[in-house]
Amino acid sequence: MSTPYTDALTAVTRQRGVLGCLLVSEADGIIVDADVQVGIEAGVVGALVASLYRRARLGTDAAGLSAVGFLQLEAERGHVCAVGRDGLVLATLAEPKAQIGLIRSAMLHALEAV
Amino acid sequence: MSDDIRRLSEELARDPSSMVFLQLGEALRRGAQLDLALRVASRGVERHSGNADAHDLLARVRVDRGDLAEATAEWEAVLRLAPDHVGARKGLGYVLYKQHRLEEAEHHLGLAAEHGDAAVETALRMVRRLVRYTNGAPAGSAPNGERFAAAERRVEDEARCLFAEILGDGQQTALLLDGDGLVTAGAYVTADGEDVAQDIGAALTGVRDEADRTVKHLQLGAWRAVVYETEVATIALGPVLEDSLALVAAARTLPLGLVRRVLDRCVQRAEAWLTEVA
Repeated sequence: MSTPYTDALTAVTRQRGVLGCLLVSEADGIIVDADVQVGIEAGVVGALVASLYRRARLGTDAAGLSAVGFLQLEAERGHVCAVGRDGLVLATLAEPKAQIGLIRSAMLHALEAV
Repeated sequence: MSDDIRRLSEELARDPSSMVFLQLGEALRRGAQLDLALRVASRGVERHSGNADAHDLLARVRVDRGDLAEATAEWEAVLRLAPDHVGARKGLGYVLYKQHRLEEAEHHLGLAAEHGDAAVETALRMVRRLVRYTNGAPAGSAPNGERFAAAERRVEDEARCLFAEILGDGQQTALLLDGDGLVTAGAYVTADGEDVAQDIGAALTGVRDEADRTVKHLQLGAWRAVVYETEVATIALGPVLEDSLALVAAARTLPLGLVRRVLDRCVQRAEAWLTEVA
């Protein structure tokens, strides 16, 4: 089933090493749309990334550093990336060897289309 | 009055024997309503004199009011009731540090760390550093108070300059934050000369908890860095040992990869500095 966000999500998930891309509400982590590989618990990923992004945004607001753009969490077994706008967060889960530069670029473009 | 405090006050008024005074007293303390907090905590201790947490609350209110001797007495009462009480160990460690009784402070903080409070590790290491520098001064070279002050200045100087060599004169700055988000080392000074390190640290340290939670639930292993771009700066955070956090803030004009490398070096430098006295 195609949604208004399918093209934007697909543009990200076609990047090498991406395990899934989701559009979630920043406030409650509820999924608006998702394109994830089998085995990825989209609901859990969405909730956690929205919460991480929200915490970073509130922190930077409080610190007077203005709005958060691209966010990347790097861990031993993967990356979590997020960009947000107007209460929505575009979240991506990727493998450790993924090309974050390309994913970042794809996510920023996708966000413009959302 | 916040909604929480109003609700807790009403609950306590309905049932004065309720343990809700612990939450109410803590909320008042955090809201800097120390006179009210003292009244609530004191009445709580009167009603529940055998409860360690009641004494702990009263001690924390006392220490916020600057009543160090009274706070010490309350924390000693806590330890008589619950010898493994981590809050009391931390509290006594803080009071004894303020009184320049470093070996005793180290003892209590060490016990708090042993009982699983990772957030106390950095404080413990700083006290050990002070002990080393104070005791390292030649005996009789100066009164104890002066040797302590000299050691404290030495630690402050080291802390302020910890990342200077890595950062150079570039458009970047770095902080080392402890488990409570307090600045242990580094500096964050705005273009107009204002030192905003504590504010920045307090605002951004919560990201660590979210990162911990995210990697745990997604089974991603240990996290190495959180990097995010704002309109004015790039912020990079990295875990340091058990409880601390390195924070690098750089101008948006610096490439992300460079900021990430600076963060790695700051993390290494911080770990080396903290573990010198472990």
